[in-house]
Amino acid sequence: MNGIAKPPVGLIDVNVPPELYRPGEGIRDEALRPDGNPVHGWAEFFESYQRHGGEGLAEWREVALRISRDRGLAYRPDRGEGPHWSLDPIPWIFSPEEWKGIETGVAQMLRLSAAILSDLYGPQRLLDHGLIPASVILGHRGFLRALHDCPPGDRLIGLGLTAFDLARGPGGSTYILNGRFDCPYGLGVALENRTVVNRVLPNLFRRCQVRRIGYFFNEWFNYLAERSPNGAENSRVVILDSDNGSESSEIGFLANYCGITRVLPTDLTVRNSSVWLKALSGLMPVDVIWKVTHGRDLDPLEANWRFTAEGVPGMFEAIRRGTVAVASHPGAEVLQSPGLFPFLGKLCRELLGEDLILSPAETWWCGDPASKKYVLENLSGMVIKSVGHHSDFRTRYGQRLSSVELSELRARIEADPERYVGQEELQISTVPTSQVGGLVPRGAVMRSFSFLDARGEPHVMPGGLGRVSTAEGVIISTRESGESKDIWVRSLAPDAPISIERRLEQSRVISPEVVPSRRGENLYWAGRYGERTDSIARFANRLVIGRTAGFSYGRNLEARHEKTLVEALFRVFEADLLIEKVTDPNKRLSLILADPNCPAGVGRNVASFYRACMAAREEWSLTSILAIESARNRWFAGTSGEFESPYRYENELQNLALHLAAFHGLNLDSMTRDEAWGLLDAGARIERMSILVSLLAFILEVDEPAPMGTLLNESVLFVSDSLGTYQSKFHSVPTTDYALRLLLGEEDYPRSMRYLLERLETVLQKLKAPARSAPAHERVAPLRDDLSVFLRRLEDEEEFGPAKRQESLVFLRSVRERLSDLHDYLTTTYFSHVGYHG
Amino acid sequence: MNMVRYRIRHRTAYSYSGRIDLYHSLAHLRPREDEGQETLAHCIEVLPEPKVRAERRDSFGNITNYFSIEQSHDFLEVIATTTVLRPDIITMLPSSGVAWDDLMVAPGLKDASGVRLGNYLLPTPAFPSFASVAEFLSPSLVPGRETMELVNEIMGRIFREFKYLPGATDTGTPLESVMKQRAGVCQDFSHVMISALRSIGIPARYVSGYLETLPPPGKAKLQGADASHAWVEAWTPATGWVGFDPTNNLLPASRHVKICHGRDYFDVQPLKGIFLGTGTQTLRVEVDVERM
Repeated sequence: MNGIAKPPVGLIDVNVPPELYRPGEGIRDEALRPDGNPVHGWAEFFESYQRHGGEGLAEWREVALRISRDRGLAYRPDRGEGPHWSLDPIPWIFSPEEWKGIETGVAQMLRLSAAILSDLYGPQRLLDHGLIPASVILGHRGFLRALHDCPPGDRLIGLGLTAFDLARGPGGSTYILNGRFDCPYGLGVALENRTVVNRVLPNLFRRCQVRRIGYFFNEWFNYLAERSPNGAENSRVVILDSDNGSESSEIGFLANYCGITRVLPTDLTVRNSSVWLKALSGLMPVDVIWKVTHGRDLDPLEANWRFTAEGVPGMFEAIRRGTVAVASHPGAEVLQSPGLFPFLGKLCRELLGEDLILSPAETWWCGDPASKKYVLENLSGMVIKSVGHHSDFRTRYGQRLSSVELSELRARIEADPERYVGQEELQISTVPTSQVGGLVPRGAVMRSFSFLDARGEPHVMPGGLGRVSTAEGVIISTRESGESKDIWVRSLAPDAPISIERRLEQSRVISPEVVPSRRGENLYWAGRYGERTDSIARFANRLVIGRTAGFSYGRNLEARHEKTLVEALFRVFEADLLIEKVTDPNKRLSLILADPNCPAGVGRNVASFYRACMAAREEWSLTSILAIESARNRWFAGTSGEFESPYRYENELQNLALHLAAFHGLNLDSMTRDEAWGLLDAGARIERMSILVSLLAFILEVDEPAPMGTLLNESVLFVSDSLGTYQSKFHSVPTTDYALRLLLGEEDYPRSMRYLLERLETVLQKLKAPARSAPAHERVAPLRDDLSVFLRRLEDEEEFGPAKRQESLVFLRSVRERLSDLHDYLTTTYFSHVGYHG
Repeated sequence: MNMVRYRIRHRTAYSYSGRIDLYHSLAHLRPREDEGQETLAHCIEVLPEPKVRAERRDSFGNITNYFSIEQSHDFLEVIATTTVLRPDIITMLPSSGVAWDDLMVAPGLKDASGVRLGNYLLPTPAFPSFASVAEFLSPSLVPGRETMELVNEIMGRIFREFKYLPGATDTGTPLESVMKQRAGVCQDFSHVMISALRSIGIPARYVSGYLETLPPPGKAKLQGADASHAWVEAWTPATGWVGFDPTNNLLPASRHVKICHGRDYFDVQPLKGIFLGTGTQTLRVEVDVERM
């Protein structure tokens, strides 16, 4: 408290001077009336703003950014690929009375949509009676004939979590711009925004008595659990995300925050007409699926004409049998057609016996001749949208089209009128938005989230996602980046605080720690690629040193050494073809150092490592992610462009090594030693051994006498990060014999195969044994036994001559085989679940 | 009415280079029983034994069979054996009594089987646009021409102007390519004709079935020599659905045995499957249509 008595809601007298905030001429503003007085509900905000001024505003932005960064929110590793909604900390505030109207309107629209959906996948009376034009529905890409006789029911939840985009017109009435029934994005962003904003403006948040949104999530999860075919008490609920969803990270956030398992289509499999989750510990039954993917991509067997295996084949059959509950109906996307808009008023009276509370944006369907005429006559003032037939038509804004474009559009509409609607372009109201210079008015749209429970009762989230245009007169689109806002709904009495995580513990959703197989597979590959990158980088380093400092062996020999080492690298990393194809030494170095696509090059492996890590990003600490990002970004920034002299790569290789070491170190410090860790570690160790045996086999095959042999041995030890150890142990120039002894047999030496095998055996014990075959770690034991037999032979009295050389080669090759078998075994047993017969 | 009795054996066999552990399949192999055709016997044998089987009706009234195989296999065989009675008729081109440019079909209207005609008028995911047939079609669009006569001419033109060339296309070849190369198989011929009819507002549907082939005079019929076939049906209020076979330029009669119909090939694909496993597959299809 800073000495000011807390006044009751809405009774503060504030007049906002124009220099502080000035809405546009003739445009309705949500916060400030034309007379300079705040709209009911905004007084506390302006009072606070007046006290803090422009500096305060800048600080709020700063703090918002910092909190987002600290919580890993603003930090989106996939940014640049999808839309990124940065956060404006100024909330969009609604008074209790204002909100009441919106809530009732949204609830009505939700009930209406549910009734339409039930009819479309049931009796289709609405089509029989001409209340909806048949062609709007029958041509819509989201109308799934495969579910023609599957109306929403107990398990098949018609509308899941639904989103409506709302905006205010000049007269102050609220319009519906869009409905999103299939995969409404933005829920995670709304949650993120709330967690940040109530930390940026805690006092204002308290004074405004903002309603909490956590209860809404809690109700939603309880509702999902209730729909489980196996009873709410033990239902496994998953959130099904799409692999290519650009907003996937917000779903990741949502899942993490709510403690629910996020899965991708490839994580699920249908067996015996039930849905299972492929987890490291085996197949686990799935009872409830909350899908945020397109329904038409859900079951490639029944809904996708393209012959691809994306999605979950057999899913629709599971839905028909009711072995799994799904929200929403996969065919709900049809409700998104703007072709329905002109008919909603009549439908509402017909189906609910009520008048519409919120009006849809005024829309004309061109399949109706009179409407078409009107649209064509007013084309330059219209927004033209596709009704959602199978074609790629991007929404056009008549105002922004040239006369040529307008006449093209006219011809298009004339050719297939039933495929288009015209919509009035709404002059939407503005809300105050923070900018570097101060507060400015920006056009705003609100996405409101809601669902119907089992009794048909609507639940509307008291809040939502606000989106503002990036500049005056710019159209707001979900698909593009921009600024988002938290939405504050004020109440007369304060809500009890709620932590969503804690509430979920009390809710009936059980979501024990499950590691989806895909995540396990990515971890395993992160381990392998990390090691591979490390190793290739050391190869590269050795090659660069050869060029810059040299090894004092004379130019001819060193050139030959470089050639052999490059060929070893190509051989070890299965790029043998390059040995023949590329012979110029500089081109070869360029492939390794500067080419982003060469399988034996640094760049490609850095990228693969990064991708594998990001695909399992739930596993890493924020600092670890920073290390991976820096590793990748620095490498590509430092090595882009033409290959030049090797000098410039020295630094970059060093940086890369440092970042990778930081990543490994951070993981050692922060990761739980569970099965996920086991796979990461197993991947790294299998990779390191595979590289080691391939490299040693190569050296034995080329069989160079000294001095070339000596230099090569030195390089092998260098690449294996063991040159220093060798020198301090043997105090001599490296021989193949002793290099083998060190790299294969040294006790307690993390670079030796002996040690690697012991570790591998230990980490594989973290994995749950499959039902019908030997546990993974038991597959390592014979290899370890063979190694000790071989080591005894290696270290016996006999000189290291051709016979022993041959024996070593045979041994190394057999190890390579068996490591590859082990890899196949891990892949089929834990990742693809091939061979499961439940 | 005289009836012809056929025994049809449709065998599909997949062999895989690796092991397949899970296979979900949807079959459209059981003939419809309407329009005078009668099924006397029908069975679908699947090897290895499916874990789940389900027969149901799709939105076009076809009978579909879902099955899943959940045991490891490297060979899969599906044999559909059917005995049908087919009316032995000679088909004459009926008259619709309406010019094609006067024909107006409301998409919400239902045909005799209760399916809305809009299904057969609108674009489908595989054929989102009719634009590529416009040029081909335009010389035939003489104003005032009776609808069925026009349909018949379009069939004849496809038969004459497109080359029947197995291997020229696959099921994924887009309509534009077929129009460009003017070659394809019965599926492509049917898709071209369907798109042409829909583009001028005539409801058209895709029919999958079999065609009895006759051996050259004096030769015995070869086992497995027949094939799945596809043709087209067009609708007007006076005629209902009328069949047209653009691959052979004739009106389907007793030698055409119908299995299913839909908007395009992808609605009625005889056997569609998605497997989990590794390796490549080799497909072998044998069809015998035997007059009894």
